[in-house]
Amino acid sequence: MASLTNGDASHPVVFTTQTPYPLPAQKFMIPASWKRYQLSQLVNKALSLPKPLPFDFLVRGEILRGTLGEWCAEKGVGEEETLDIEYFESVMPPQKMSSLPHEDWVASISCQTPGYFFTASYDGSLRVFDYSQKLLHTSAAHTAAATSLRVVPGSSAGKYLVVSSSHDLTARLTEISLPSSDAPESTQPSSRTLASLHLHTAPLSSVAADVSGARILTASWDSLIGIWDTEIPDTDEVPLEDVQGEGLERKKRRKVAETENAPRPKRKAPRGVLRSHTMRVSRVVFGRDNDGRTAYSCGFDSTVRTWDIENEVCTSTITASSKPFLDLALTPSGNSALAASSDRTVSQYDLRAATSSALAPSVATLMHPATPSCIAVPPADASASATSSSSEHQLLTGAYDGVVRLWDLRSTKSAVTAFKVWEDKPATARKVLSVDWAKGVVGVAGEGGVEVWRVGQGDRPFPSS
Amino acid sequence: MQSEDEGEDSDDESDDGDYEPFPEIDPSSDSEDEEEDDNEDDEDEGEDEEDVSENDTEDEIKIGPRPKNIISDITGQPKRVYPEIDPDYDSDSSTEDTPNRVGDIPMHWYDDLPHIGYDINGKKVLRPARGDELDKFLETVEDPSAWTSAFDTNAQMDRPLTAEELDIIRRLQENENPDASYDPYEPTIEWFTGKGKEEVMPLSAAPEPKRRWVPSKWEKQKVMKIVRAIRQGRIVPNKPKTASAQPQFYAIWNEEPSTHPAPLPAPKPRLPTHAESYNPPEEYLPTPEERAQWEATEKEDRERDFLPQKYSALRLVPAYQQFIQERFSRQLDLYLAPRVQRVKLRIDPNSLVPKLPSPSSLKPFPVYKSLQVPHAGQRVRCVSVSPDGAWVVSGDESGVVRMWEVTIGKEVKRWTFPGKIGSVEWCPRTDVSFFVVGMEEKLHFIIPPNLPVSILIATQTLLAPANLPPPPSVPSPVKWVSMAASASTSDAPILSLDLPSSSGQAKQIVWHRRGDYLATVSSGENQAAVWIHQISRRHSQAPFKKVKGSVQLVLFHPTKPHFFVATQRFVRMYNLAEQKLLKTLQSGIRWISSMDVHPSGDHLIVGGYDRKLCWFDLELSDKPYKVLRYHSRALRSVHFHPTYPLFASSSDDGSIQIFHARVYNDLMTNPLIVPLKILRGHAVKDGLGVLQIRWCARQPWLVSAGADGEVAVWCS
Repeated sequence: MASLTNGDASHPVVFTTQTPYPLPAQKFMIPASWKRYQLSQLVNKALSLPKPLPFDFLVRGEILRGTLGEWCAEKGVGEEETLDIEYFESVMPPQKMSSLPHEDWVASISCQTPGYFFTASYDGSLRVFDYSQKLLHTSAAHTAAATSLRVVPGSSAGKYLVVSSSHDLTARLTEISLPSSDAPESTQPSSRTLASLHLHTAPLSSVAADVSGARILTASWDSLIGIWDTEIPDTDEVPLEDVQGEGLERKKRRKVAETENAPRPKRKAPRGVLRSHTMRVSRVVFGRDNDGRTAYSCGFDSTVRTWDIENEVCTSTITASSKPFLDLALTPSGNSALAASSDRTVSQYDLRAATSSALAPSVATLMHPATPSCIAVPPADASASATSSSSEHQLLTGAYDGVVRLWDLRSTKSAVTAFKVWEDKPATARKVLSVDWAKGVVGVAGEGGVEVWRVGQGDRPFPSS
Repeated sequence: MQSEDEGEDSDDESDDGDYEPFPEIDPSSDSEDEEEDDNEDDEDEGEDEEDVSENDTEDEIKIGPRPKNIISDITGQPKRVYPEIDPDYDSDSSTEDTPNRVGDIPMHWYDDLPHIGYDINGKKVLRPARGDELDKFLETVEDPSAWTSAFDTNAQMDRPLTAEELDIIRRLQENENPDASYDPYEPTIEWFTGKGKEEVMPLSAAPEPKRRWVPSKWEKQKVMKIVRAIRQGRIVPNKPKTASAQPQFYAIWNEEPSTHPAPLPAPKPRLPTHAESYNPPEEYLPTPEERAQWEATEKEDRERDFLPQKYSALRLVPAYQQFIQERFSRQLDLYLAPRVQRVKLRIDPNSLVPKLPSPSSLKPFPVYKSLQVPHAGQRVRCVSVSPDGAWVVSGDESGVVRMWEVTIGKEVKRWTFPGKIGSVEWCPRTDVSFFVVGMEEKLHFIIPPNLPVSILIATQTLLAPANLPPPPSVPSPVKWVSMAASASTSDAPILSLDLPSSSGQAKQIVWHRRGDYLATVSSGENQAAVWIHQISRRHSQAPFKKVKGSVQLVLFHPTKPHFFVATQRFVRMYNLAEQKLLKTLQSGIRWISSMDVHPSGDHLIVGGYDRKLCWFDLELSDKPYKVLRYHSRALRSVHFHPTYPLFASSSDDGSIQIFHARVYNDLMTNPLIVPLKILRGHAVKDGLGVLQIRWCARQPWLVSAGADGEVAVWCS
């Protein structure tokens, strides 16, 4: 029916999609010289959308980059073969929104709280910014470098419970009070370190908080994972070490206490310890089932482990071959894990098929030119995923070469798009240490501070400055 | 037919007439007779028949040709006619009857003339008619006697050969004497033997000489000489039978057939090609340039020893000048030809390359630079990785020591000293945590920040004990100064050692595996270059009173109480417990720059400023098991990975080379050394490249310190 040939060589094509814009299932004759732009125009015309939407096209699982004829010539596909082309809404080129300057390296950023950015820096401070790049508050929670930070969900408006890990062998629960948006002048932003979590004998690498805000996991270099609750005890659960070297720490702590103008944080003991890793645990995350019973962790012993938190046992292990994992993220569906390793790959592992015995082959491998240090997946909550299902195939990775790449798991050969951060810095000083992605906002933290970018489909309500 | 008969007759005659007198010639009738002869040839012949019969009858009476008296037709007078003379060997050729009397001249003088000469009367002898070639051919076909005829140049016509001539031809063909009358089997004529022919009278009248009956004096002297020799035993008359006196014949078939290969055929001379032809095609002929070039080149260098030449005919080809030379070289070829068949080895050069496993099968090993930590452009001389593989300390020449994370590269602490940092080294113990910085002539012990309390206390009590151990009996020139444990922070060194002054920069610090002893090497040239310090007793001692050569490096054996000392050229291995020299390793390196021992303790690698890296198998030999020359500039540092089968070498060419080094427990299997990867990324500054490399414990990661002020981490 739809014959679009104009004398040129043409391919029979069937369009499929998972977007809410389906085309009728029929064959189109597409000229081989067409590129993404013409295909996108065709879909828009065929659907007669009120507002034109750009689309990207997957030919047999690969994103179409050149003309259709070039793709066919490269793959050796004959002219008569019918091609299945899947289309999805294309990703707009990322736009830099703002940058939040830091004096020291920023180890972690969280933008899951709407309206605020929480950062953990190597100077041991936690900082809160709002969307207008204004530094709202600085909380000197740690005496050594802070490595990871999470906002514990479920906190009341204006008061945020933040858990952060540090090189000083503790994780801390800090309550940060911010003025509510309706009455900005009511309270000054303040923070109070409520409790310090004492278990580990080596620097901590990451913390995680579950959806309900009741549980916290800490991962450390000493191969342990601690399970904690968020209740603040009345007394110290762990006795204060009475040591010779206390002088220094006490001095520092006193300084901290003086600046915060608050009582000394309570010393909490873990509710449980997960021991199975043989080397440093680099990342621990909660599972996607929202009940806080499952956790996943990766470590330098090249394993991704699944934990049953209630029983404190490791239920399954994915063992890779000499891949010290640096970061771990779960896909929005929760079925597979994405793990970045120091051999410059991000591998996707199917968690359902995981067995604890043999080496598990990765489902997909994303090759990077530099060490990928962090992974972010788009938020999985309902409001974000309603518009598009393609976001469940997307992920962001930050690497030591200062490039944040957006990948589509259906096309693992190369990144969909990439953007460079801190372009004014020298090439060796652009290491990205953390990315976080929430509702089209991507926070990139690293050696050069924090940059905020907008990545996502179409235009979204974004309270830009 | 007539002549044949006559010939036979004449034979008979000649047999008898050896001394037959020459027939008389009548001078008066000579001229006339001759003139008549020609005209009356035919008549004469006819008359001859009669003559013969008459001759036969009167043979006995008269010897020789008889004249015949006839009446001349012309004169009417009787005249004597002699019979025709046979053309015998005895006969005179001048008497031959030839009509042409021109004599023995080249007949082509008459080619243009209608006649061919003149007869005896001076008349022209006309050229006989000769047919064309076809007629000649037809004649030969038709005439059965054509093949026995020959061309007579004098008569210019074909003449049938006579029977005598044919007989001569036949005899020549059969290699017989052409003279039919020659009899090789004549009976001998006895002149002196036989009865009545003996010599009766003596030939001379001389009396018989005395020697006929007196024994010879000289013979006697000769015999007496032999007799005397026999008596004196110089000649043994009956020689004892020896093995050579065995019979010289034997059964040749009894021997085993020889298993030797048959003698080789002589090498064949090269066959001539077109170029050697006397009349080669034009394309083989040299151009003038080629000829000039051939003449300009030396004789030995010429591609071929002749120039192709063209002759229109083979008979124009001159004698071959190079003949002797060629024969001589051919003889040389034969003389020098190999006497054994040499099987030419067809070896693929690739098959000689040792079979090494592919690097991809030997993963993991570092392949790329993961991160870089800058040192503000100062030369980073030393770097050390903590025993848990998490922290790196690096010290540069401006006195800055930085401590940073391996994976992120974030500096967590920085110390500044007033001098060049020559060496840093972490203590290998895990129950305590500190590292030692060698700053010029001082050693500073520093506790890193953020330690667990228990480890911190243990470290502090180790380095700054509350009650000091008793001072050693012999005071050491090395001063141990520590600050109180309570007052100590990670900002300042908790313990400092002052090496003796003028000992120079402490360029190497090496720990014993237990972490109680550490040895330092100073750059000073005097004897006090090497010190061994014991932490627990707070005591330092110089292990060597006298060392031959300046000590470059020292090393503790990982399992045994052995101690390696590298001077400029040799590595000496001492037993510290028994205090004696175990062995001296001769590396062949001019100047040793670096050394490391395998974690198993059985292997040692030594790097030199002359670009060589020697692998010693300590169980095997004092000589290197393998010498690797892969770097283009001086080696600076070598290091074995503590757990992975890897080692690395760094060089002033700015590169780091990674090797797979698998050693086996059994003594039979040689270590397997596979070059894996060349890591480039450090800049060469002032001729200095990568100054020190260290492996991360537990991970196949490498930390390298470069003269360009960068410390890099290389990840797998």
